[in-house]
Amino acid sequence: MLMLLRIFAEFFKIGIVTFGGGQAMISILQHELVYAYKWIPVDRFLYFVSVSEVTPGPVALNMATFIGYELKGIIGSVFATLGVVAPSFIVILLIARASEKFKENKVYKRFMAGVRPAIIVLLINAIYLIALRGFKGYIPYMMAVSVFLVFPFWKKNPALLLLITGIIGILILR
Amino acid sequence: MSKKLLKSIKLFSIFFFIGLFTIGGGYAMIPLMREHIVKREKYLSEEEFLDVFAISQITPGPIAINMATYIGFKQAGIMGSSSATLGVVLPSFLVILLISFFFVNLTKISFVQKLFIGILTGVVGQIAYLTFDLFKKQKYTILFWTILIISLIGIFVLKISPVYVILIGGIMGIILAKDNNNANAS
Repeated sequence: MLMLLRIFAEFFKIGIVTFGGGQAMISILQHELVYAYKWIPVDRFLYFVSVSEVTPGPVALNMATFIGYELKGIIGSVFATLGVVAPSFIVILLIARASEKFKENKVYKRFMAGVRPAIIVLLINAIYLIALRGFKGYIPYMMAVSVFLVFPFWKKNPALLLLITGIIGILILR
Repeated sequence: MSKKLLKSIKLFSIFFFIGLFTIGGGYAMIPLMREHIVKREKYLSEEEFLDVFAISQITPGPIAINMATYIGFKQAGIMGSSSATLGVVLPSFLVILLISFFFVNLTKISFVQKLFIGILTGVVGQIAYLTFDLFKKQKYTILFWTILIISLIGIFVLKISPVYVILIGGIMGIILAKDNNNANAS
């Protein structure tokens, strides 16, 4: 039980420091779990990271499930996942409750107006980071451009388009 | 109460679906989320969706969890936020458990790699279109261009965290934005 609580606490901490994309989270996890506590060997940890990036869901959550399972089985992965989720769940609940009050607030509106251009830049950065990580050669870029051109006319679910590009990927990527 | 329960079940299934297709980090779910949350279910307006996105960037936790909790709460209170969050968490939880059980190394399987890159090309194309669309809808004031350029320098040259980029934009907005410049949500 003590170990379960420690797992929960560790991932609660990770949940707090994971902002937005959460790149910093992996190095913090590695530092604490691998070097400070020696809970898991480094090669095992790196294996978890690489698989977490190619499976559905946020990387932080996948890491929590993996490491929790490794340490204490299914119950361990439940505690780790709850730990990651708890901070954002609590903070967002408080904000959601309060947001009706400040939605019409002038300062809030001005803040959000100033945030718009920043969001555009963050989205460009997301594209850059994804392409940097996995695109080799010109074919993936051509596929992405094709999706960009098709997407405005796409009436079906966007997920279907992702499935199609996935299958095309299996067929034509090397 | 039963209406809330029905809504919660619906939220659960929508977010389960979104969670299942989020491969390649939190941003990957933005196009899918916009489709379901804004266009189909109309839970949020376009403006509100962007607001929640911005809030997600400056609060702890993965975007997926933040979005699910916020939208769930707006629709059906605590029960709604719990079921939406559970929905978005469950697919990855189950997939990772399966992988742990059978100890398969997905990264070593060639067609999984290709499938993954293929899906990412779709994700990039969709995010690129959304970015273009968002850009088109802006009012091109001096303040807009100033914040855009500062954010570009911050992210790509100085490599500062998205948290600060959002905060800098927001604070410049508070100081410099004219109130009639805001597109109205409602």
